[in-house]
Amino acid sequence: MSARKVSYEAQRRRFVRMAMAPSLLFLLVVAGLPTVFLLVTSLTPGALVNPGSLGDFSEPLRNYRLLGSDERFVGSLGVQARLSVYTVVLQVLLGTGLGLLVHSGQERWKSLRHLFVIPMVLPPIVVAVIWKLIYTPDISPIYQAARMLGVTLPALTTHVDFALWSIVIADTWEWAPFTFLMVLAALQTLPAEYVEAARMDGADAWRVFGHIVLPYIAPVLLVCTLFRLIDSIKAFPLIFLLTGGGPGSVTEVTNYYAYLVAFNFGELGYSSAITVVLLAATVLISWGAMRVSRNAGGAE
Amino acid sequence: MSSNRMTSLRRRWPLARWAVPLVLFAMLLPFLWLLQMSFKPTPLILEFPPRVFFVPTLEHYVGLWQAGFPESFVNSLVTSIVSTLLALVFGIPAAYALSRWTGRGRFGLGLGILLTRMAPPIAFTIPFFLAYRYLGLLDTRTGLILIYMTFNLPLVIWMMQPFFDAVPASLEEAALMDGAGYATVFMEIVMPMAAAGIAATAILCFLYAWNDFFFALILTRTDARTAPVAVVNFMNYEGWEWGKIAAGGSLVMAPVLVFSMLVRRYLVSGLTAGAVKG
Repeated sequence: MSARKVSYEAQRRRFVRMAMAPSLLFLLVVAGLPTVFLLVTSLTPGALVNPGSLGDFSEPLRNYRLLGSDERFVGSLGVQARLSVYTVVLQVLLGTGLGLLVHSGQERWKSLRHLFVIPMVLPPIVVAVIWKLIYTPDISPIYQAARMLGVTLPALTTHVDFALWSIVIADTWEWAPFTFLMVLAALQTLPAEYVEAARMDGADAWRVFGHIVLPYIAPVLLVCTLFRLIDSIKAFPLIFLLTGGGPGSVTEVTNYYAYLVAFNFGELGYSSAITVVLLAATVLISWGAMRVSRNAGGAE
Repeated sequence: MSSNRMTSLRRRWPLARWAVPLVLFAMLLPFLWLLQMSFKPTPLILEFPPRVFFVPTLEHYVGLWQAGFPESFVNSLVTSIVSTLLALVFGIPAAYALSRWTGRGRFGLGLGILLTRMAPPIAFTIPFFLAYRYLGLLDTRTGLILIYMTFNLPLVIWMMQPFFDAVPASLEEAALMDGAGYATVFMEIVMPMAAAGIAATAILCFLYAWNDFFFALILTRTDARTAPVAVVNFMNYEGWEWGKIAAGGSLVMAPVLVFSMLVRRYLVSGLTAGAVKG
């Protein structure tokens, strides 16, 4: 019997290796190779107008040296940091609040929970179109409502003080449902005895929340934060359609700047260097996210 | 758990009763606004105050048809479906393999696969753009399918693994004892048990490719242009064709709404694998 088991094990191992090989090979070619390629390109002055420049390694660290003195790049890091912090904080807070409200509310709201999720699954470009509609004064229902009340709203997406917030609001509309969904799922697994026991001991609603519910959903909130953080580094369709990075460079996040440098200015080498920095940040956060979500267990 | 807590909260703060429907309304209104606009006669679109009741028209959808939108729509369909099928063919065996992996390096392998999904799309775009220019794959469906596979393959591996984890090894051994080969065991025992997972994964892959805007924007121009890029093209220098934009947007989101309802149970695991959003 045990000898047989071993031979099943050997068969299985052979099958596993065969099943794994094509995917690994494919990923190496389409993901591994481009990453190496990106690193190599980042060491050249590589410009689209000058084909030879992609093979010029005479001054390999030039791009990286330039990064520090490029005000637009440094500025984009600041914009990125602001956008990430604002959106992540808002989305986690709103999503959690909504999750708690729906979880403890009437059954009929619970059965409608999938409607809340619509913004998140819509194609990002459709979300951007929807918000373009909301932010365009002569057609927007918001501006029309304000006009009826006799209020003149500033043009949000082209105003220095509001442009970034107009992106933050749209992004929050799109992604607060993610935290909502995760928190609701976590709350449904919260054992009722915990809450009952606490209440028996005389804890009021806020203490139950602070000492039982919040610690229970904390790992899920951490996972939400990390995943939203990673995604916020990729912000593109909203910025592309709503502000184009402007006014000036008020909404120009690093990812968007890298896109402009590569595909509007044709500076592929320099853009690669910017992208390598972004990639490094993503790797760090992803590694952390995976560690956390593995330790958090049920958080998927 | 908290029906008591909520009752007291409601008594103290009556707004709590209305908070949920209000938020739901706020979440749905922008999307419904776009939908109604796609049926609104052109002269009424800019009318103020906005008219809520009007005779719906299909003029914008007809306009889309005449403007060549169907070709972009077909491009979207073809690239999404083919990249999904290919990702499943490659990814399902790999997911099974990862699930039964007993050797070292499992964490590292999983992380590597996940990273492919987490990386900012621009990191792939520059190398792909250069390679495609050289290989003549710019503005082709093949080119788009390849890059969508790069992102869908990790999603398949990541999402299918738990479904395979749930298939008990003793079942496989029983079949092997009856003399079946391992490939047969996989096809006839393991795969049917993971069928629900395969369906959910397929839909999420489709949605990811369908929702993409970034790659299509950079890697296509006219021949392989997808529907999301075509919608944006109605915003041009001569002005904004809001009717067509709304109609195009509505068509692009239609399959998404249907499919996402089918896989709502799996949305969270799909999204935490970095899915749907480009």
